[in-house]
Amino acid sequence: MALFFQRLVDGLSYGSVYALIALGLVIVYRGTGHLNFAQGEMALFCAYFVYQFGEWGIPIWPAMLLGMGVGFLLGSATEVTLIRPIARRSPFAVFIVTIGLFTFLNWLDGAIWGNQQLPNSGVGSEQLTYPSLFPNDPQDQWLPFGVSIRYERVGILVLVLVLTGLLFLLFNKTKFGLSMRAVASNSESAKLSGIRTNRVLMMSWGLAAAIGALGGVVQAGLNGNVNLGLMFTVFIYGSAAATLGGFDSPGGAVIGGLLIGVIENLASGYAPQWVGQEMKLGVAFIVILAVLLVKPSGLFGTAKVERV
Amino acid sequence: MTLLKATGLSAGYGPVTVLQGLDLEVQQGEFVVMLGANGAGKTTTMRAISGLLSRQGHIEFEGVDITKASPDAIVRAGIAQVPQGRGTFPELSVEDNLHTGAFVRADAEGVRDDIARWLAVFPRLAERRHQRAGSLSGGEQQMLAIARALMSRPKLLLCDEPSLGLAPLITQELFSVLEGLHRDEGLSVLLVEQNANLAMHIASRVYLLETGRIVASGSAAELSADDSIRKAYLGF
Repeated sequence: MALFFQRLVDGLSYGSVYALIALGLVIVYRGTGHLNFAQGEMALFCAYFVYQFGEWGIPIWPAMLLGMGVGFLLGSATEVTLIRPIARRSPFAVFIVTIGLFTFLNWLDGAIWGNQQLPNSGVGSEQLTYPSLFPNDPQDQWLPFGVSIRYERVGILVLVLVLTGLLFLLFNKTKFGLSMRAVASNSESAKLSGIRTNRVLMMSWGLAAAIGALGGVVQAGLNGNVNLGLMFTVFIYGSAAATLGGFDSPGGAVIGGLLIGVIENLASGYAPQWVGQEMKLGVAFIVILAVLLVKPSGLFGTAKVERV
Repeated sequence: MTLLKATGLSAGYGPVTVLQGLDLEVQQGEFVVMLGANGAGKTTTMRAISGLLSRQGHIEFEGVDITKASPDAIVRAGIAQVPQGRGTFPELSVEDNLHTGAFVRADAEGVRDDIARWLAVFPRLAERRHQRAGSLSGGEQQMLAIARALMSRPKLLLCDEPSLGLAPLITQELFSVLEGLHRDEGLSVLLVEQNANLAMHIASRVYLLETGRIVASGSAAELSADDSIRKAYLGF
């Protein structure tokens, strides 16, 4: 039972990262119907920046906020310069463009920071490990019933839940949130209501990338370092989380992410010889498949049904 | 006083020009009906006035040139459009639809009063104020689309075929609401219709649109007195 609890908390903290990536995907998808394939790489780019801020002596919390600012600029600039002109000509081409951006950002990270993991004493890093948002020394843990519940894992989960709550308020209680929902629902009537839909889309991409940036920082912190491949699997899990939760539901994205984190941890923990580290992704996907067979729009997605 | 004045208005979609130098006027307090067959350019006219399409020519609203204005600036200037078909936000609740209609307004209290007012005018919307708009019937959605447009407190309401796909009784109900707003509040309306009979008797003035041009205009009585027009457009 205690071991179960430990695996649950670990799963929730890894799931938190998937949830953040999934949230970014969902925010962009709701606004424009596009799947941003570069969501994970945008987050990685920001995670590198936060490493760099750390090298310059900036503490992790302000560095994280700056990193989210970088994400916001990157996301909104991407929408204005790349997505908007191309979406007007061919919506499908947007998907290809985001794949191109995926490759380009990864190349850019390598060109700036090299292809070794960072921090790295070999390239003279000041930091020993990638900074963590919460205490993560070996003794920073509770030991109820002899199992380890690490402060860092609990902290991450709480952070993601607080962020989800703030986003809920943003979407449902502010005028900007109303305009985002209106644009997602009917872009032409949004224009006819006086909403500057272009600005809303720009802000949505910025917001999505900023949330993703937080995901990148948390992931690099859990991992202890940042490297060029850090976000590959996380992006796949994040897409799976968005699919599971429902691609148009931010709350669903968070729950989907947490579920996938828990499922993979429980599966690899309880059936190590059957599942192990290599196959835990497979287990998560079997669960998703089963859910989608019963509910094609995801757990919390709205099926597009309308009375005529 | 001239509220809206379009001269030499041309607009279309990409290489296809639909409107070819259209002249149109709406006076303050008028209920103007534009009749035309499918493909005559009625919807294009509406979209051009609202700024959803790029357009050539000249459009003036209250004496101000709005030819180059963006859709949100045109809403702020006082023009609201009920688009053809579903003008609602299907995923949003009825109440959020109305809030969205008031997006350009900053007076929270006035917005609350107006929501209460339109829910009183359309009692069926009041019963469903927390439901998603997509779950409403076609007639209820059209009422919501009109209420949504009115939430911006427009000086000119553009209505694009509100009767489309609705049962005759529902259409009559909608028209009587529009007529009441026009008569009691002096709301200026520009309405396009294929269904001539319904629209004619509330119109202060009628335009006939054919392949992107105005081919006739006048009062409803004048136009129905003309035999050829009556046969072609009014079907009696």
